[in-house]
Amino acid sequence: MANLNLTLKVWRQENAQAQGRIETYKATNIPDEASFLEMLDIVNEGLVHEGKEPIHFDHDCREGICGMCSLTINGVPHGGKHVTTCQLHMRQFKDGDTIWIEPFRAKAFPLLRDLMVDRTALDNIIAAGGFVDIRTGSAPNANNVPIRKKTADAAFDAAACIGCGACVASCKNSSAMLFTSAKAAHLNLLPQGQPEKNKRVLAMVQQMDALGFGNCTNQYECEAACPKGITVDNIAKLNRDYMIACASEAVGVYS
Amino acid sequence: MNDIITTACKFVTSSIGRKILVALTGMCLLLFLVGHLAGNMTIFGGLSPEGGTSWIDSYATGLHSMPAWLLWAIRLGLLAILLVHVGLTLILKYENYTARTHYQMEGTLKATLASRTMVLTGVMIFAFLGFHLWQLTFNGDPHDCYHHILAAFQNPWCSAFYIVAICCLFMHVRHGVQSIFQTLGLNTRKIRPLYNIIAILFGVVVCGLFISIPVCVLTGILH
Ligand code: HEM
Ligand code: SF4
Ligand code: FES
Repeated sequence: MANLNLTLKVWRQENAQAQGRIETYKATNIPDEASFLEMLDIVNEGLVHEGKEPIHFDHDCREGICGMCSLTINGVPHGGKHVTTCQLHMRQFKDGDTIWIEPFRAKAFPLLRDLMVDRTALDNIIAAGGFVDIRTGSAPNANNVPIRKKTADAAFDAAACIGCGACVASCKNSSAMLFTSAKAAHLNLLPQGQPEKNKRVLAMVQQMDALGFGNCTNQYECEAACPKGITVDNIAKLNRDYMIACASEAVGVYS
Repeated sequence: MNDIITTACKFVTSSIGRKILVALTGMCLLLFLVGHLAGNMTIFGGLSPEGGTSWIDSYATGLHSMPAWLLWAIRLGLLAILLVHVGLTLILKYENYTARTHYQMEGTLKATLASRTMVLTGVMIFAFLGFHLWQLTFNGDPHDCYHHILAAFQNPWCSAFYIVAICCLFMHVRHGVQSIFQTLGLNTRKIRPLYNIIAILFGVVVCGLFISIPVCVLTGILH
């Protein structure tokens, strides 16, 4: 089990107003079974021992389900290995590598400190319509609610989004279309989501636009960066649902 | 009525609504390209041997003999479509630029070169269009279209500019055609490769045939 010696180029910034800069650190003797965050823990321990300010970064579950960890690694959010940063292991890197570590960048994600950004904007999109108002009761018995298997699968795939924001951070336009479309699709596909479908689509898109995210240009960077395999099929569906919602709202056809 | 107006206003100011307008106007421009290409291909009819009118001259005079109001309605309609397309894309791109904060080390996973240069290729097409209209539409004589085109393309600079502009058009269309399907909500993972093939084929055929004209003039096949 080889240990790695790496050079880190890390974005440091004291607060939102401060001028940020790249600083260089040595990460020595890193076990290759360490996760990326554990590697930073080791570096931070060294910094603390030297009496320096550790590198601030976000994390919580460290098992790929909460969506709290971020980090843009060598220009790619989560490092582009289809896992979250907390699930990215140092065996993916080679001894002697230089690794660039930057925050998830976007105007809609204001920087808090170093590598931590405020992703509340994504919560605001959900608050605009990513929910079901009515009581849907407790979990129904299997096959009680008729739903096609493939539809249920598509809804489940969309629901896998953990709201990490890598799609926004990787997008050349900082668009939140992948996130919004996944959150809208997982409800729009299910029977419980039908009564509020049009209202939901219009409200979520309006909120997304108001928060200062960019506009999608169909480059699909988001899909490639997403750690949860959310596909841009959801974006196509959001475009479709948006057209239907506008048309039925305009002429008063209610389904 | 109120609902129609308020919804329409929301649509044309929203991100998705404007993208859909870009896709629809882009689609109209693609149809225009096909029509224009079909007309241009009459140049390969050559000059008629017995001194009658060549195919492309009869095509050009045919176009000009349509009622003036119809000709201008088509011209102004196309201009309006183009301006909506260009105007909206520039606004959207400006918003995209301001929405981003830039990386020190930028990575790209799968955005194609064509998709990342849409403004550049678009502006190039626009500049070319201005020159092209000035040279062949407003300074041309429909009764002697054939010789006018020949003279224009015998200038290598003129041909080179034309070929470069059409290469830009290829890039624009290569991203644009498959993009339309996604924007209009007709895309899925299964069918995506087919859309890419359609986009490339469309680009190769249309742009290849456009370029064939200056190439044939320069190589003396058309004379
Ligand atoms: C014959 C001329 C043109 C054709 C056939 C054409 C076609 C298209 C098509 C099909 C799209 C994709 C629409 C979508 O689904 O998003 C598009 C997008 C675009 N066009 Fe054009 N276009 C033309 C001229 C122009 C011009 C003159 C500009 C000048 C700036 C321009 C700039 C753009 C831009 C910036 C986009 C957005 C690209 C993106 O979303 O990534 N286009 N065009
Ligand atoms: S769509 Fe993927 S990248 Fe975007 S927030 Fe959800 S899990 Fe993260
Ligand atoms: S820390 Fe929870 S997903 Fe990475």
